[in-house]
Amino acid sequence: MKQNHSYEKPGIQKFAAILILGTLSACGADSSSTTAIEVATAPLSSRSLETTSALTFETQANVGAQTYAMNCAVCHGASLEGTTLGPLLSGNAFVRRLGEQTPALLLGNIRANMPPGGNEDLTDVDYVNLVAHILSQNGVDSVITALTPETDFEIAENISEVVARRQRPEPPAPEGLTVKGNTEDFVPFVPLTDTMLRDPSPDDWPMHRRNYYAHSYSPLEQINKDNVGNLTLEWVWNMHEGDSEPAPLVYNGIVYLINPGNVIQALDGKTGELIWEHWTGPANRQDMRNIAMYEDKIIQATTDARLVALDARTGEQVWENVIADNSKGFSNSSGPIVADGKVIVGLAGCARYIPEDCYISAYNADDGELLWQFETIAEMGEPGGDTWGGLDNIFRAGGETWITGSYDPDLKLTYWGTAQQKPWVPVSRHMTIDDVGLYTNSTVAVSTDSGELDWYFQHVPAEALDLDEVFERVLINRGDDKLVYSIGKYGILWKNDRVSGKFRGFKETVFQNAFTHIDPETGEVTYREDIQNAQLNEWTSACPSSTGGKDWHSMTYHPPSGLIIAPLSQTCLENAAREVALVQGGGGLAASRKFFEMPGTNGNLGKVGAYHADTLEEVWSHQQRASLHTGTISTAGGLVFVGDLDRRFKALDVNTGEILWETRLGTSVQGHPVSFAIGGKQYIAVTSALGGTSPRVVPGVIATEITYPRWGNAIYVFSLPD
Amino acid sequence: MKLGQAFTLTFCFLSLGLSSSGLAQEVFRARLSPMPTTPQTVSEILGEGEVFLTLNDHQLEIDGHFEGMSSSAKSAHLHAGPPAQPGPVVHVLEIDPSTGGRIRAILELTDKQLLALRNNALYIQVHSERNVDGELRGWIFLKSHFERS
Repeated sequence: MKQNHSYEKPGIQKFAAILILGTLSACGADSSSTTAIEVATAPLSSRSLETTSALTFETQANVGAQTYAMNCAVCHGASLEGTTLGPLLSGNAFVRRLGEQTPALLLGNIRANMPPGGNEDLTDVDYVNLVAHILSQNGVDSVITALTPETDFEIAENISEVVARRQRPEPPAPEGLTVKGNTEDFVPFVPLTDTMLRDPSPDDWPMHRRNYYAHSYSPLEQINKDNVGNLTLEWVWNMHEGDSEPAPLVYNGIVYLINPGNVIQALDGKTGELIWEHWTGPANRQDMRNIAMYEDKIIQATTDARLVALDARTGEQVWENVIADNSKGFSNSSGPIVADGKVIVGLAGCARYIPEDCYISAYNADDGELLWQFETIAEMGEPGGDTWGGLDNIFRAGGETWITGSYDPDLKLTYWGTAQQKPWVPVSRHMTIDDVGLYTNSTVAVSTDSGELDWYFQHVPAEALDLDEVFERVLINRGDDKLVYSIGKYGILWKNDRVSGKFRGFKETVFQNAFTHIDPETGEVTYREDIQNAQLNEWTSACPSSTGGKDWHSMTYHPPSGLIIAPLSQTCLENAAREVALVQGGGGLAASRKFFEMPGTNGNLGKVGAYHADTLEEVWSHQQRASLHTGTISTAGGLVFVGDLDRRFKALDVNTGEILWETRLGTSVQGHPVSFAIGGKQYIAVTSALGGTSPRVVPGVIATEITYPRWGNAIYVFSLPD
Repeated sequence: MKLGQAFTLTFCFLSLGLSSSGLAQEVFRARLSPMPTTPQTVSEILGEGEVFLTLNDHQLEIDGHFEGMSSSAKSAHLHAGPPAQPGPVVHVLEIDPSTGGRIRAILELTDKQLLALRNNALYIQVHSERNVDGELRGWIFLKSHFERS
């Protein structure tokens, strides 16, 4: 089928209110939700709030402090200072994100999404008091009357400190080039061409997952099974602090490194010396997984949904364009892929009820000009538009593309996973299990020339547990078969023909009990009956949990063995839907969740599983208590590299899963390892990092004995002794 | 009786005895870990444990230990329900009334319960004073299942 959705829904008045949902929902939320989002005030019972009319703001705040301590402090900190389980709710960050909002909007968002474990014990009055406490702690000091669900003053305008600060200049955050240099002082520059991207030099790792097919495989073999035990640290570089899941690029001996807060650095791969540093902004400590390189440009998506090209030699900005309007909640947590001169990028922050939908978009790599957009939500009157239960277009949400896709240059198709419908549970969406919601939770194959949909395969229609199928698509040729493989949060390894989309097989890589049947001929899934019929505030118990099966950590394909080796996770959840009003600006995620060990795993949260691309049979697995926090990469030296929460970075035998080498880093090992060579010497690089949403939150409440420093973002580079 | 015949008979009896005892006795295991939790409750739902269950015909002998719960154990039960899907109580177990101790029982399983045991559809749940709905839980699998994982 061919479609092109490249227009905006007409006739709906812009809803002005904005809120950073991620600010309040990071306890258990995914990267797709760490975004600015519009919200509406949820209708509250007027009777339950009658008592507030006799109160003062101060009294509400005092009572709210106790409610906060019992329900919020464990994630957001006793003084709203934030923890690894939840972001800070105070200070400049709070004012920057929420200062222009109203108490009514803040109330609506908290009530719909917090706390993540359930809100049955919290009354409407409790929520109003919580808002009063948060405002009070942030210095709101000119409020006398008690808050109500309709209170609509601008928060920052009632913080005298902020008002005063706004009247005096303050030092700006770093912007632009903060360290100047030129890679040509280290190595002659050669533009990275289409031909080189199509068949990268063995020495380079020039794109996320190294090649268009997303194999995360290095043909280097100097480091191998026999000598990997001798690996030693060559150099280490501390990165900026913040949430981080970085995937470095390495081209021609230069390491290009994305840091939290939209900062890019170029480092000499041999010595770790900084060459240049560019702050694109916003300087917000937020996470961006990966960047791209093309010709002489480094291209980054920013957390506020812009696309920026830098000169790869100097770091100077070349062009900039807007991917989507961040003030409407759109954002990015992953970067682009460059295919045939087109910069193709996804989008996140699509969980709210506004006229605009999520899309994949393409831009001219030379100047950033928009070339096409493909919307991931089918609207009324379009093919697939009748799969949304008759909902008005404005209430069709989700379909984020928060993980970078892959590319087949022969077919000129780019392959992306899409996230599920929002809110998470059908009953919250005012839909049923029959309302499949195209093109969510699917693989979409999109023409890189036109942006038209070539085919789609919806892996889990009408998704009901926050288990999306959004992760990387690995393209593998087996004989004459051109195939695409993926694993979503259900932990099911899907095999599809990548020319037609036809289902070719599946394998359950971890225990799942959400589906009672998966049709071996068609791949059609049948949900368990209680999941199909889950009602508001009903707890449903299922495996895996919202941390996956598999999550954002990329898997690798090892061509010499035909094995797909995936980093997997073994936890389960209880999930309960919350009510979401169908009002413009509403939406969100809207579920309460609890987490527990997966039965039968002996408490092993982490699993590296190896599956043959032909048979899909599991050839080996390595299981361990600590959850895995890096993608897997494989090498021609017969090795698989992976890192975990417990600070361990390991090399496994690609044929058996035997651990051949391991070392311990400063904090949790997180990101995407790479391998490269300079002057005939092979290096293995990996990052340590914090943040990471569900894959960090869930182990944080199950494997509580695992401790690690709450700082220490860095890149470590290993090699064999000379 | 010739010596050869005696050897044969003895071998047959021994074989029968070994095989029947081998068939009749199966060892299962449950790892006890905290009930479903959240960042808000993670400091209140605590502990771990390990229980071995030996099956002879329909008789199930249960012996295990637990430790580190948030408060003293009040009760322990054998429940029926497939992995990660809670179900009803089918037997009451003996448990030490403390934050750590032993769990014991000798039970006679029905045919239905026996089938559930072999299908991993039984689990043990421990209730404490602070967590009356349950603090520790663990599904029962053949002991050899864990040795593979």
